[in-house]
Amino acid sequence: MQKGLKLTDILVTIVISIAFGILYKIWGPLYYAVKPFGLHIDQLIYGMWFMAATVAFLIIRKPGVALLAEIAASSGEFLMGSEFGLEVLLYGLIQGLFAEFILFAFRYKRFDLFIISLAALGSCAGSLIMDFYKGYIGDLSTWNLTLFIVFRIIGSILFTGLFAVSIAKALEATGVTNLVRSSSKKDHEALDQ
Amino acid sequence: MNSLFSGKYTWLHSINPSLKLLTILGLFILAINIHYLNFMVGFSCVILTLFIFGTGYSYKQLLLLSLPFLFVFLSTSSSMILFGKGETILFKWAYIQISEESLIRGIHLGFRALSFAILGLIFALTTKPVMLFYSLMQQLKLPPKFAYSFMAAIRLIPIMIEEYQIIINAQRVRGIEQKNHLLKKIERLAIPLLSQSIRRAYRIAVSMEAKRFQSNRKRTFYYEVGFSRNDLIFLCYFFVLIGLAYLLSNHYPFLPNTDVRYLSD
Repeated sequence: MQKGLKLTDILVTIVISIAFGILYKIWGPLYYAVKPFGLHIDQLIYGMWFMAATVAFLIIRKPGVALLAEIAASSGEFLMGSEFGLEVLLYGLIQGLFAEFILFAFRYKRFDLFIISLAALGSCAGSLIMDFYKGYIGDLSTWNLTLFIVFRIIGSILFTGLFAVSIAKALEATGVTNLVRSSSKKDHEALDQ
Repeated sequence: MNSLFSGKYTWLHSINPSLKLLTILGLFILAINIHYLNFMVGFSCVILTLFIFGTGYSYKQLLLLSLPFLFVFLSTSSSMILFGKGETILFKWAYIQISEESLIRGIHLGFRALSFAILGLIFALTTKPVMLFYSLMQQLKLPPKFAYSFMAAIRLIPIMIEEYQIIINAQRVRGIEQKNHLLKKIERLAIPLLSQSIRRAYRIAVSMEAKRFQSNRKRTFYYEVGFSRNDLIFLCYFFVLIGLAYLLSNHYPFLPNTDVRYLSD
């Protein structure tokens, strides 16, 4: 088995992410539309932005895929002229790194809902760090900040955890994942017989 | 993307894409370290001027593109204005508490979001994605397998959008629409779209590998991207005008000139 990402892995990851990038671009105005209510209802759908990482990882199951997927999705969104401008690139990078780190901690061996939700929380933490620094969210009054963080965590687990896993399961059922997953040891043994 | 609106070819288009990206990243890092409202407003004006006069689009197009910005400005600033910490209370109603500090901080955040949005748009409007990736390969040594994958994927965007329309229409013909909640609806669209995209990406990747796109030997490039005098002008524009904005904001502040962060002492 070859180490690292092959061109196939890279291209498939990027294409999945660009598809999510289009989704993010459609998502952006919706996010801003619910935002002015002030009670952070927008944060419930924030988790959508971390989805590319976990979905791509669940499909390809290789190291580095989650990070690449977040970067690709954010640059796709950026090149299409996102209303968030450049910050999407940096947020994408940080969110991807944090998700990747969680997956790395489990040696890229587990693909269950628990780990994926942990990766979602990783991305969520990454985005919160950026917000503390850029959006001064630490200067919100305490009850409001708590609401903000709790809503974002719920949104992350809902979209990046649960929803991503269900999408990946549905994609497995269509059979496309067999194209891109590296052949396992069991497959090689089956050939030897 | 760029095909939506076509503008004139200006000097901003001729700037080396890698340099443009790095400059904009630098400006981003500078902007998140600005904590004084006067300087933030000055900074936004410098960027806005370039956006209006430098991108080569007609005022009508620019106006249309800027409409979402108003929204970005309002929604970014509103929650900080309404719920931010502060001592000098101006207005209080139930949970809403507007203080002088939170008002200034909110406006500051609005200008910050606005300048990020415009910076991003300046880049997106004046850069061809293909040239960006050629430049990243040549100037920043991005491995070709990443760059060509990105370019191939960007080419797939119109096909994906077309496919999206087909799926919607097909589902409408069969009478499945509107009945379910949002998540179910997204899933019903995402699965066929993603599975088709993965299949297509796989086919393209196999043919690219067959043509040795993966090899690590030294490549030659169809487009050679270099530097020109405009790159220098671009850098000078920001250095000089932002420096000027900094000096003016310190010597002639027209708005309350305090640190917008909440400092509890």
